[in-house]
Amino acid sequence: MSERARTPVNGGRVDWTGDNPGIYLKTDPEGDWTALAVSFRVTMSPQGRGRAMLVLGAPDEAKGYPEAPNLCIAENEALMRYLLDGFVSKFPTFRGRAGLAAMPIRPLEDASVEGTYQSVQVETVKSGNASLAMTWGELGAPFAVEVSPEQCATGEHDMYSLFMEASFGAIAVDGQPLPGRVIKRPFFGTMMSSAFLAFSETWVTPTVGEG
Amino acid sequence: MPIQPAVNPYPVDWSGENPGILLKEDPDGPFSAMALFFRIAYSPAGPGEALLLYEKPGAAESLPGTHNVMVSTNEALGRFLAESFVARLAAFAEAPAYGALRHVPARAVRAEGDPRSAYAEIVEAEGFTVELRWSELGEPVALELPPSLTGPKDRELFTVLVEARSASILIDGRALPGVPGSRVQAGIETTTAFLYFSESWMTPA
Repeated sequence: MSERARTPVNGGRVDWTGDNPGIYLKTDPEGDWTALAVSFRVTMSPQGRGRAMLVLGAPDEAKGYPEAPNLCIAENEALMRYLLDGFVSKFPTFRGRAGLAAMPIRPLEDASVEGTYQSVQVETVKSGNASLAMTWGELGAPFAVEVSPEQCATGEHDMYSLFMEASFGAIAVDGQPLPGRVIKRPFFGTMMSSAFLAFSETWVTPTVGEG
Repeated sequence: MPIQPAVNPYPVDWSGENPGILLKEDPDGPFSAMALFFRIAYSPAGPGEALLLYEKPGAAESLPGTHNVMVSTNEALGRFLAESFVARLAAFAEAPAYGALRHVPARAVRAEGDPRSAYAEIVEAEGFTVELRWSELGEPVALELPPSLTGPKDRELFTVLVEARSASILIDGRALPGVPGSRVQAGIETTTAFLYFSESWMTPA
């Protein structure tokens, strides 16, 4: 088999790399998102390394935890603010959400991962009495993705990642499940669940003229 | 530069981190010590961490006298990597140490430092501790390699390379002999000490 032609060295600037799974839920499949969550395990960035989880249980309420279930728990706050400013706030699902600006960032005091993608995987982070949890189940086979800025969620980056679709996803704040279910949505020419694991993800700012 | 289609058509072998250190005492001689570390997010054998260490690459022997070992948190993963990946890396597979490799469980694994400056992976097993230490680190570079530019030659690779100009392998605090050498990867002049993050391998069917 002849191999596919590539430019082996991406000449852009590597911004960050790590894992970045997510779960997006709706109570009405035809309505807007009702709960959003993403988790980060960043291995390299200009702001160092760290883990974090962000949950918007009331995405369009300009209120933060504990008044509303909008909370971020992060090991490295500078890293989290870098991710929020340059990436999450530009994701179509999160763009313009009042809950994002109102959400406090609390220090991560404990983090755990139970299970694996082979059955059910649960990630939990804690800060004081507050806890956030994401659960993925019914996972499919992994597949690699590579996109240029015109296809990328930020509209600005080259992005490489490995996705595993989860047909089941759940988000909990302080042990209480948030309402909603995953839905199928368009994903690079196919339909994929709004719950997914994303491993080995790298974001690159293209060199001027290459994007 | 990413190519189309956005969804890679090939099955995924494994994905994770894969830093390494290969040392030589003589630039024109054989490797004097070799190590590859794996922190695997996805593989058919499950996730986990594994350290492939050749204390004496030229010796067809293992514990108790020689640390030619695969230390892992998941033995099935360690065997999967040894048999399906390391076996296709000529420098490792052709070393006498490969045939004598002994699999032993890891008691603890941790990363230290920051890959922008100095970084380490520390693996504790029953009776010994191994430290891989990298410093004088370069800027990260994203690579997307066709099979012909990879070690195994039969699969595509996405990865982030961080070059290290200084590195050491220590067993119970004792540094193994040698220093990193030079190599060329995808036209980049680099060294035999490296961090690889977010590495995914896809094999054409």
